[in-house]
Amino acid sequence: MAYQYRALTADEIEILTAGASRATDWTKVLVKSGFSPSAIRNCEFSGDIAIGSIGNELNPADNIPRQSGLFNARLHNVIVGDNCHLANIHGWLSNLKLGDSVIIENCGTISCTEATSFGNGCEIEVLNEGGGRELKITSRTSAQIAYLNTLYRDRRALVRALDKIAEDYSEGIKSTTASIGNNTRIQNCTVIKNVKIGEAAILDGAKSLINGTVDSTGAAPTNIGSDVIAENFIIQQGASVKDGAMLANTLVGEGSRIGKQFSAENSAFFANCEGFHSEACSILAGPYTVTHHRSTLLIAGMFSFFNAGSATNQSNHMYKLGPVHQGILERGSKTGSGSYLLWPARVGAFSAVMGKHSANFDTSDFPFSYVDIFKGRSTLIPGMNFFTVGTLRDGLKWPQRDRRQNDDKLDLLIFDVLSPFTAQKMLRGKKIMQELYEKTVKGQESIVYKAIHIKRLLLKTCPRYYQMALDMYFGDLLVRHMEALAAGDFAKGFGASEPEGETGTGDWVDVNGLLCRQSRLDRLLQEIESGQVKSFDELQEKLKNIHSAYGADEWNWYLSIFSELHGKELSAATKEDVNGILDFWQKASRKYLNLVANDAKKEFEGNVRTGYGIDGNQAEDFSAVRGNYEDNSFIRQLNQLVVEMEQRYETAKKIIRKNM
Amino acid sequence: MSDTMGRIKQVTAELLGIDINQINDDSRFVEDLGAESIQSIELVAAFEEEFDIEMDEDAALAVTNVSNAAEFIDKVIAAV
Repeated sequence: MAYQYRALTADEIEILTAGASRATDWTKVLVKSGFSPSAIRNCEFSGDIAIGSIGNELNPADNIPRQSGLFNARLHNVIVGDNCHLANIHGWLSNLKLGDSVIIENCGTISCTEATSFGNGCEIEVLNEGGGRELKITSRTSAQIAYLNTLYRDRRALVRALDKIAEDYSEGIKSTTASIGNNTRIQNCTVIKNVKIGEAAILDGAKSLINGTVDSTGAAPTNIGSDVIAENFIIQQGASVKDGAMLANTLVGEGSRIGKQFSAENSAFFANCEGFHSEACSILAGPYTVTHHRSTLLIAGMFSFFNAGSATNQSNHMYKLGPVHQGILERGSKTGSGSYLLWPARVGAFSAVMGKHSANFDTSDFPFSYVDIFKGRSTLIPGMNFFTVGTLRDGLKWPQRDRRQNDDKLDLLIFDVLSPFTAQKMLRGKKIMQELYEKTVKGQESIVYKAIHIKRLLLKTCPRYYQMALDMYFGDLLVRHMEALAAGDFAKGFGASEPEGETGTGDWVDVNGLLCRQSRLDRLLQEIESGQVKSFDELQEKLKNIHSAYGADEWNWYLSIFSELHGKELSAATKEDVNGILDFWQKASRKYLNLVANDAKKEFEGNVRTGYGIDGNQAEDFSAVRGNYEDNSFIRQLNQLVVEMEQRYETAKKIIRKNM
Repeated sequence: MSDTMGRIKQVTAELLGIDINQINDDSRFVEDLGAESIQSIELVAAFEEEFDIEMDEDAALAVTNVSNAAEFIDKVIAAV
């Protein structure tokens, strides 16, 4: 690089001086060919300075043309790329390396004051405010890596190995110079100290950014907005942090949005999270964790695909040994307005929590449930949340709302609502309910299971809701497999396991958005512990392999449990057996879609019209504001799902007629 | 009042904790008797236990008032 630069000529120094610029030593100011001294006015230089080609017109993304050059700025030890525009720097730009076409305007001080890793390697206390689950955040930390690092603390060798990967990475980028990538625009910011900024980022109006990384690329630019205060942070590609947000010891994941005075401390938010107005403290916010409302505190918890209602709150402190309690809301859960949970507690996947709960329950065996209050006691309604319109909408919207634009996404996600993860839970939950029901007597109102009440009558009916979901899932899985098989290979492929997939009926786990076989995860953990995985690149590659094996593992798992469900292997199933599964699938799907439609219909009739038509025109007012059931876009989507399901059923039947 | 209707009212009154005399043939479970959606599921379960039948979930949950429930249950009993 050095050969590109040359010393200033005497004529150039004269022009610079005439333009009110000065330097402690002009011999330390190097320039590139294409440098125009007239494009520098009223600047002060000290230390080693290298200036690229300037003087051309810039046409940045804000559509306001500028002349590239340095105006009213003080620089100390700065490398300036080609076509940069630096203007009105009230403090200093010091110890920086700017890429090409960087704009810095109306800013205070942007500096690097010491050897730093720019927030990488900072230890944050997630999930347990009392500590014990420290995570070293880096710009390569994914939801899965955070999960392994914080949830398997009993495996010391694993934690040491993962910490070392993070430390090595952090050490590798340690520098006394902070870089600002090509095409980045920084305006109206007060203090930026020890912050590394990627390409195409926009920082406008930030108040104080200290010790952090703003990872950004042209494909996934990152945006930092007004009045943001952040210290010890990592903000990953495509994220947005603005409007007075305050971050301390926090990671903001790819495509996430933080703003509207949200504050977070010792927390990690992964892909596509949203945090507005409210507060987070020591949380591990997996992908799609969303909190939008003031008075909501998320503390000492793990969440993913989660939506917090207003004034959601948890306690992690009993004024005994400190804030040492923690809680888990498994994927897809949501909390109603004003809901409260006393940690420790664990809520099963895709459940809805309503009311205030002081029991330390564990409902992880019962996905798709309501956790509610009945007669002042925490009460579980298993399976109730499966056929609500909200759960179906959530499942459809998450993949569509993936804001990540970068190709090499860090978080590896499986979006499926019905999956081996939820199916194994429903199979287990069904069995537990049946066993509990057999032990009850008529007249008994409820039983207590893992510190939560379940009404006796529900033990009899709710297993049927799970069965409905299982019939839907297994039928769909079978049909998907049939659809994927070329007709010619049908006999060969039907009932055969996928060679690259895991076999057996073993457990599935949700690794913060990535569903996988426990056995695959165990192998990865062993590989990390034994030192076979030494870097983020290697670790990410292993995780990608697990992610891409999901389909094969899912099918093989189904094959493994098929004989438990049907008393024979799928490969030995007759035409009648398969037709029977398809019929159950069709019946369950029809029933499910009908239940969801009925649930959606409740949003259009009866008491939901209360408050509409303030002076008596209720029907007309409601129709004008909310529209009609039949015309609702989701209802149309639902109707389309019914049509598609029926078509797939007929196609599957034809495949069977032709091939079996 | 048919036997089915009487038993439905009895079960409903017990489950919702209301006076049986408040329940009319055309009482709607949600709007008139104050049943919440969760209690609708419980009612289905309670009717199943009372009449020793199994009801189709989506059809049962679509029943909105007492007389329709009696009609529905009579049909299920007849089909057994």
